[in-house]
Parts: sequence; C-alpha cells; structure tokens
Amino acid sequence: MTGRSRYLIALLLPVAALGLVTAAATAQHPIGTTQARLTSHPAKDRFASEIAPLIRTYCLGCHSGSKPPAGIALNGFADTASVLKARDLWEKVARNIETGHMPPEGMPHPTAAQRDAIVSWLHATLSAADNGRPDPGHVTLRRLNRTEYNNTVRDLLGIDIHPADDFPADDTGYSFDNDADVLTISPLLMEQYLSAAEKIARAAIVTPESAGKSVQFKAEKLPGAVPIAFPGMTGHLFSTNGEIGVDYPFPQAGRYTFRARAFGQQAGSEPVKMGFLLDGKLFFTAEVKAVESAPAVYEAVGAVPAGKHHFAVSFLNDYYKPETPGHPAEDRNLIVDYLEIQPPPHVMPVVTESHRRIFFTPAPASKEVYARQLLARLARRAYRRPVSEAEVTRLMRYVHLAHQEGASFERGIQLALEAMLVSPHFLYHVEIDPRPNDPKASHLVDDFEMASRLSYFLWSSMPDEELFTLAAKGKLHDPKVLAAQARRMLQDPKARALSDDFAAQWLQLRKLDRIAPDPGRFPEYTDTLRQDMRTETEMFFDSVVRNDRSVLDFLDGRYSFLDERLARLYGIKGVEGDGFRRVALDGDQRSGILTQASILTVTSNPTRTSPVKRGKWVLEQILGTPPPPQPPNVGVLPDERGDAVLKGTLRQRMEEHRRNPQCASCHAMMDPIGFGLENYNAIGKWRATDGNLPIDSSGTLPDGRSFQGPAQLKAILLGKKDLFVRCLAEKLLSYGLGRDILPTDRPFLDAIVRKTAQSDYRFSALITAIVQSGPFRMRRGEGEKPS
Amino acid sequence: MSEPLIPRRTFLRGVGAVVALPLLEAMLPLSALASSAKSRPNRMAFIFVPNGMHMPAWTPPTDGVGFALPSIMEPLKNVKDSLTVLTGLTQHNADALGDGGGDHARSAAAWLTGCHPRKTSGADIRASISVDQLAAQKVGHITPFPSLELGCEPAATAGDCDTGYSCAYTSNISWRSPTTPVAHEVSPRLVFERLFGSDDPNATAESRARRRLERRSILDFVMEDAHQLNTQLGVRDQSKLDEYFTSIREIEERLNRVEKSARQLPAPETLPTGVPADMGEHIRLMYDMLVLAFQSGMTRICTFMIAHDGSNRSYPEAGVPEGHHDMSHHAGDPKKQEKIRLINHFHVTQLAYLLEKLQSIHEPEGTLLDNAMIVYGAGISDGNAHNHDDLPILLAGRGAGTIQTGRHIRYSDGTPMTNLFLSLLDRIGVRAETIGDSTGRLQQLF
Repeated sequence: MTGRSRYLIALLLPVAALGLVTAAATAQHPIGTTQARLTSHPAKDRFASEIAPLIRTYCLGCHSGSKPPAGIALNGFADTASVLKARDLWEKVARNIETGHMPPEGMPHPTAAQRDAIVSWLHATLSAADNGRPDPGHVTLRRLNRTEYNNTVRDLLGIDIHPADDFPADDTGYSFDNDADVLTISPLLMEQYLSAAEKIARAAIVTPESAGKSVQFKAEKLPGAVPIAFPGMTGHLFSTNGEIGVDYPFPQAGRYTFRARAFGQQAGSEPVKMGFLLDGKLFFTAEVKAVESAPAVYEAVGAVPAGKHHFAVSFLNDYYKPETPGHPAEDRNLIVDYLEIQPPPHVMPVVTESHRRIFFTPAPASKEVYARQLLARLARRAYRRPVSEAEVTRLMRYVHLAHQEGASFERGIQLALEAMLVSPHFLYHVEIDPRPNDPKASHLVDDFEMASRLSYFLWSSMPDEELFTLAAKGKLHDPKVLAAQARRMLQDPKARALSDDFAAQWLQLRKLDRIAPDPGRFPEYTDTLRQDMRTETEMFFDSVVRNDRSVLDFLDGRYSFLDERLARLYGIKGVEGDGFRRVALDGDQRSGILTQASILTVTSNPTRTSPVKRGKWVLEQILGTPPPPQPPNVGVLPDERGDAVLKGTLRQRMEEHRRNPQCASCHAMMDPIGFGLENYNAIGKWRATDGNLPIDSSGTLPDGRSFQGPAQLKAILLGKKDLFVRCLAEKLLSYGLGRDILPTDRPFLDAIVRKTAQSDYRFSALITAIVQSGPFRMRRGEGEKPS
Repeated sequence: MSEPLIPRRTFLRGVGAVVALPLLEAMLPLSALASSAKSRPNRMAFIFVPNGMHMPAWTPPTDGVGFALPSIMEPLKNVKDSLTVLTGLTQHNADALGDGGGDHARSAAAWLTGCHPRKTSGADIRASISVDQLAAQKVGHITPFPSLELGCEPAATAGDCDTGYSCAYTSNISWRSPTTPVAHEVSPRLVFERLFGSDDPNATAESRARRRLERRSILDFVMEDAHQLNTQLGVRDQSKLDEYFTSIREIEERLNRVEKSARQLPAPETLPTGVPADMGEHIRLMYDMLVLAFQSGMTRICTFMIAHDGSNRSYPEAGVPEGHHDMSHHAGDPKKQEKIRLINHFHVTQLAYLLEKLQSIHEPEGTLLDNAMIVYGAGISDGNAHNHDDLPILLAGRGAGTIQTGRHIRYSDGTPMTNLFLSLLDRIGVRAETIGDSTGRLQQLF
C-alpha cells in the first residue's frame, strides 16, 4: 500500500473529460495537483509540537514497546511525514479516540478539547494526503457469483430456473459474497458451468430434435409443493389429501401419455392411491404400492385438445391413526418425484417465450445471414457489450457443426448459446484497462462496463435495454444521467436484490439459516417464524429503498412489517390473519432494525442471549468501528463456567469482564451496547426478567454517555449518525465494487457522506453519491500479482 | 391432519439397495483402471472435524499394541485392528505466532497445508498447497478425477469468519494453490452425478460420442476466448484468469482419460438426492460417495470437511442442543466437556460406518480398507485452550500393506503433522522433500 501512496495519478483522459471526473470526486480538490499540496501542508509541524505530546501522555503508557496491546505501537513517530507512512495505523487511532474506545476505562483521559485536537488533526492530515492523490483502486477480474449467475440467466433468456443453486457456495471476503479476489473458479465449478449451460440452452431453445420427447416437471418445484428429500429421491410430500400440478401448453390435439414417479408410505388396510387429473377432472387412479426403496412410474394415456391445460396428480386416501399404548402411530402418505407429459411421436413442443426472444426476427432467405443476426444479438447481451464480426464468425462454427451432423439449425444456435454461457466473457465481469500493468493509469470505465457496474450493484443482474441504449450512445459518462438511472433502477422490482443480497449480508440475515435456538427453551421458534423474521427485515429494508426514506430509519424507523406470528412474538395487538402488513410502532420497545427479531436472534447463542455478540454486531455493522481481535488464548471468563457456579442475571455474571484488565478495554465497548438490548431474549421476545431477576438494561459507553434501556441507547446511536452513514456507505461501496475498502477510498467516502447528509439522508442520495464517486466510475491498472 | 412420518432408519438401506450395489457390480471392471498401474492401488483420505476433541476420552491410556479403545473411539471396535492412533502431532503454524486470535481459521487452513495463513478477511488470502492437492497434481492423472472434495456445510456466506480471518480459511481444508481453496461438494446427488454422469440412460453410444465431440468443441472455443482475453489483462487479473485455464485443462484431461478407458459408465437406476436434514444421514451418504469413488477407481484422493472450524451447530442428534463452539469453551466444566465428548462420539460413530463399509469390500489383495489411508481428526486439540499440539489424529487402513496397524504410537510433543504427510505421500507414489514445516518422515508407521 505504501508503495502506491506516492504515485501521481496520470490521467489518460482528454482534458474535456477531466471536469466530469473531478466532479465525481470532490470539487474542491481537483485530481492532478498532488505534490505541492502535500509539501506545503500547513499541519506539517503541528504533530511534533501539539499532537505528539498528547499521544505520549495518554497512549504510550501501553502502546509502545515490542508487545503492545492489539499490536499497536505509537512510539517512534516524530513528525507528520512519519504518520503518513503508517496511514492504516493512524486511521485506527483516529477512530478509536473519536468513538471513545480509547483510552480505556480506568486510565487517564484527555479533555474533550484535547480529544478533538487529536481527531481533527488526524482527519485533516489523512484526508488532505488522500485528496492529493485520489486513487480509484483496481477491482480484480471478478466472476459472477451464484445470485448474479441465476439473475443474469433469467434476464438474458427469460427463464427462471436457478441453475446456480447447485453450484458450490461462494466464499466471502469482506463480508460480501461478490468479493473479486475471493471468488474462485475450480474444476468442480467449471464442470457445473458446463452442465448448467447445457441445461439452460435446452430450456431456452426448442429444437426439432425434441419432437415427441417427454417433458418432466420436478414435483417439489411446482407451486404449493412441500419439498422433501430422501436418499433415493427428492419430491413433493402429500401428508394429507390434495393435488399438485402444472399448466402445460399442448401443441396439438392428440393422445398424450401422462406419467408420475412416486412411492407411498403405506399404512392401514389399502395401498396409497394417486389420481391423475386434467383440468381438475380425475381420469385415472393408480394404486401406488411402491415403497421408498423402489419408487415406481405410473402412467396413463389420455386424449387432449390443443391449448393450455392443467395436469395434476392427487393423493386420494390419506389415513392417520395416532399412537396408542403399545401401537405406534400409523400414517399413510404419498411422495411424488416428478410429473411427465409425453406428446405423440413427431409433435413439436410449443415454442417458448425464451425461444421467441432468441429467434427475434423472421428468417431471411439466407440461413447464414439469419444465424449471424441471431448470434450477434445474443452474444451482445450475454457478454454485456458490443461484439465484433470476428466473434460472431467464431460462434458460427456451431451452426456449421450442427449442419455437418445432420442436426437442425436451432440445434446449432443452441450449441452456440451453450458455448457463450461458458465463455469468460459471460462468466466474468470483464473490465479492460488501456494500460493494465500501470497502477498510475486511472481512467473512467467504458460505458458498457459502467452499465454493468450499475446493474450488478442495484439489481445483481445484467443491464436492461435502456442501459444498453444509453451505453451505446455514450451517455453513461454523464453524472446527471447516472443519477437519473440510479433513481429509475431503485424503483424497478429488480432492486429487490439489494434487500436479498446486500441487506441479507450486511445485517448477517443469512446466518439465520444456521442458527438453531434450543427448542426446549424457545418452543415458539419454528422454521416459519425464522422465515418471518427474515421477511420482516428484508421488507423493512426494501421499503426504505422503495419509498426513498432516510437511511436513519434503519436506526429508529417507527414502523415495521409484521404478520400475526411476529406480532404475537412482539406482543403487538391487532395484527391478525395471513400476510405481512405495514404496522406503525409506538412505545419504547421496537423501532429500527436493532430491535427486530432477526438481528436479535443471529446475535444470540442457542440457549441464551449474548451481549458480547450483540455489542460486537453493532460496532461492526452499524458504527463501522470493529473492536480489535480477541487476544490469543484469552482466558475464559467466569460467566462461561458451568451452570453450577452461575449466580445472578447474565449481566451480573458478565460484569466480570470489567474486573479483568486484559478484557476490560474491548468489552467496555461491546458489553454496554449488548446490555442495552438485554430486554430481548435470544429470539427477540421482550422480557422484563432473566430467570427471577429483573433485567437491568442501563449502560455507560466508553465515551461516558449513559442510557437507560434500548430506546435511550438508540437515541445515542442516532446521535452518531455520521458514523452510521459512513459505515453503510463503506458497506455499499464495497458491495458495489466487489472489493474491500482501502484507506485510499477515504476522500471519496467523505464526499459520499457529505452529499447524503445534504439530501436529508435519503437512500437514493446515498446510492447516487456512490455511483457518481471516483471508485465507482474509474479504475486503474494493477501490475502487481497478488502477493 | 397427519404429521409426515419419515422412517429415518430406512434411508441408508435405500441407498445401499437401490443405488450402490447394482451400480458397483456393473462397474467392477472399471476398478481394473485403478489397479492398472500394476502395483496394488492405495488411496488417501483426510476427514476433518472442527473445534478440537475431548482429549481425555480420545487418547488411549497405553501405548503400542493392545491398547484399550477410549470412549470416543468405542464405535470403532469392529475395525480396531486397522487403526493407528497417532499422539503428539502438532501444527505449529496454526499457532498465533504474533497474529492474535483466529485459532479456528488457522486450524483449518493449516491442517493439510502446514502453513501459517495470512491474517486477512478479504482480498489477499494466502495459505499454501495442501497435501491432497500436491498428491493430485502428481498422481491424479492416473484416475478420471485427480481428487474429490466433500463436506457437509457449504462455505459460510456472510461475515468475517474468525477475528479477522476470511471465511475461505475456516471453510476449506483443501488448497490448490496458496490463493485458491478447492470448493467442496455438499450434495450427495451432485457428487454422484459428477462421478458417474447424469446423462440420459437411454442415450445410444452414437449420441454419447456426438455429445463428447460437442463438449470438446465448446472447451476449445472458450479456451480461445480466454487466451484472447488474457492478452488484454494486467498480471494481477491474469493470475485470476489462471484458475479458468486450469479448470478447463483439467476437464479436458479427464475427458481424455475417460475416452481412453473406453468404458461406458452404467447409468444408475436411481440417484441419491439432495441434502438430508439429519446430519448423521448426511455424513453417511457422503461416506457412501467416498466409498463409491474409491471402489470404482474414479479417484484415489479425497478430503472431507465435516463442518467448518468454529462451527456453532447444535447436535440434537447427539443430545446436545447447545452450540458446538460454545460448548468447546468448556472452561473445565465437566458438563460441557461431556457434551463435547458426545459430539465427538457422534462423529466417530459415523466414521465407524465408513471404515466398516471399506472393510466389507474385497479387492484382489485385501479389503478396500487395507488398501487405503484414512486420516481422521482435528486441527485443535482442546477446544478451550485452542492449542494446536497434541492433536487428535487417527490413521485407519494399512496403506496397501505399508502400515502396521492396531497400535497407539506416541510421538514427542511438537512432532510436525506434516511429517505424517510426507510419509503418506511416499506410500501413494509421490516423492516430496518438504511440505509446510515438515522436518522429515514420520517414523514407526511400519
């Protein structure tokens, strides 16, 4: 990092473009006026004269020598230049002093004026140094992650089949699963790309070769299915009488064969019975004698008129006898693997919407010309950029290959699509640097690259036609156009991806799937309730996006989205019946995301709350001031000892943290915040007592501010709104770029936070400021291999 | 309304009866491929469990032959003669060495690499090549798949996984290169399809051949794309695209090997399914896949991560509703230690299923277990102390007659675990001078 810090940014842009770039960074610090600013810095000597003595008095007592706490040694800094050589370190120092985490309790504290002097000098010095050499950073060649792959296939072809659900999970970097450096391709994944491409191309294009071939529908993917997995089979479970089916467009009248693969869990005096229905009318009843170890296929033939009809299978004879003394319960169920429809020989399936999209224009006389037309359009969209004639020519080999094999024209296009879907141009977010090995060469990304940056940031998917059109016209260089597009895109239903992907990771909602509260202690916690918790937080986030609310609503929005089950958990009356609805919140118990059950659950242990985890979560996800890592082989606190010695509330036990100086400084940051949330149990239910003892949810933060209960804690957090907005901006920028945030991003983040504050913290203002920022619009080369 | 009643007990019988047996009989000729290297085939697998072990119930009280099985190993009584308990091995590079907390991340990352992973939660992950991948790169070409990576948990998807360490460290034990962990497969069905294909069972030989031709053409095409793209990238991005090249090449080589063996893989009547909810069933199904892969000669090298290190999963199956990681910080509390012991015992019960299955399969010389080296254990000794010496390590199998089993061997504390790796590599035909912090070969195995 430090090697890079002395670089002058060499702009490869024509001078006319310069205004745009700097407008995106900060108007008052135009790019390209570097060294003069640094050398004439007015603060240069103030470190030695004013700041260093304060550091000596309040910090060096602990933070010096060969084994300083948290590895932070502050001795040996004589002047401003030496501070600037250890930027990361001093960033940390500024944050820890600013938030009051340092100096720790029990040590001499600087006065408020001294504290301000240190912090404002550090901010000014570090920012000024940054402004002298804005560095947009380099994003490593990044592959699509699973979500992006699914969504891109959906938007490219109009088929929503989620092929990436079978891919190995994406590793994560700085909290997000789209981090370029951490996303890798393995042979295992490549094999899955190959087979997914085959499946997708088959689903997207109807070929004459598929005439007379049967189509299968996996039962557990049909609407209303109850998925279940057995070692030999996955499928839909009928535990009571009912039906499950599919609408299918029958291409022409004829005798079709209907099949279903199934087995029964046999009980009672007769075998499981399964009905076949067409448009609700029973036309066949099968006795399903097959059992789990050997499922069987049942079939019947029926005459069907052309057009769309509903084929369904049903469970006809449910039977259940509860357990009685000496007799286990008896239960008859039907499990269906798939439904299948086979047309008469030589009947072509109905042409699908995705097929029509690919064969978008009527065929001209020349098949060659036609194929080039189709492939050029398809490749442009698959690669998210214009394609060359040479590229189209290379794809034509598949049309020729199909021809040689005596296969159809459509088969040739299908193979070409399969190849495109495995090409690096499809699988990666390709961005080309004019001087790829020169880290000094910053440049604006091109318009098509910009279209993809926008769409993968806000939609987790490929650009739509409007973005492609603007890119083709060269309009995506214009910050005003970017702002307008960001606003448009946030209102599109696809912006739901921000809740599903960004928010779910920022707030760690995905951890909910792996949390298993002890059923003995929390019997109300079920899979449904867990899903409800996640839905509440996602809907809340989505409503901030959709209604362009202030991002401060995340801290204290006095509304939420509840269904009856959650409302019961929260003790809120008047929410009855199915479905989620907006509910206004009053009183002190709930507001914002901190008091939503999802967050309170993911920050708890299976058997009890964890004030440490909750405090740490707030520091990391809300304030952006993570506590230092736990020292190695740290002793275990008495609170963690066996139940036999536990006395008092959890809080009283945890006060032990304070008595151990090795633990005190960090836990003084985390624990009070967690204590402020002790009124919520490990699944987020309000409580006034823990065991038989009353909950004490008061606390004092390291900066000396005290609170009584969660509402006052939130008021204090709301007072730190710039820290929160900055934290959210960092998370969004990191997610939007697919890389981690670096100290060089500081001036850009400062500008983003300022602009957001100027627009009343509206969500769209934050997003607009991000997409107009330097790192989002620019990139530079990177000559170093990852070390 | 009736509750769904699922007869758990029948799951595995189902798999055994429907999938494994008919398929394997049909495929037996293929294992000729595995033994075609004239010598007796030997296999190597590494099975990782998280959060350490309750050592007092793991380490046998006496050394040498005739040791008594401690309570955690009690499920292994039927295969006791094929076990070698190795006490005293150490992964020194999993220690903090000045990097502070993060013992779970280091435990997993060092387990098969013997390296000290770089402390980072993002961009610049760095470990080193793992012993299985080293072997795969040297002798993997003998089998259709150089190696197989299995697990029961997908890589974690949110958050810095362990005090400043990337989730890539806690959720992977297999590393292809210092910067590339090897993803593992968690779905038994997908493992099966990967090994044996999901082709239409009714396809003719002609249509299969055509499909291979098309697949090759696609591999050629995308390789050209990648080469062209590579010329436009800087060295950093080129090293990223390298993963793409490596993957395509490996698939091409496999196609070659499968064609050379010129054998039609029989299509199974029934495929195993997705991931069962019960962890025991899940582990056993994955073990079934491991056995299938070894028996059919599809690969000789496998890693299996039961759970990521630091996992806080609860084990109601074993009578432990609390989180595993929470309990592992037992602070000497006998109640918590007992819960850890129950979880350890539960995992070893599944291991017994694997080892007994391997032992039941007869090969021309000995059983499949005789011709394998299964390393089982953790990268942490005591979950409370987070120490990486005195690791719980069990070696099962006779390594094709190269290991004298039925013994408890106690090495001096601090003996690098990587020395074991060198000795195993010798036995699988890979001559390596060092791996990680190795100081030489592990003595006394034979």
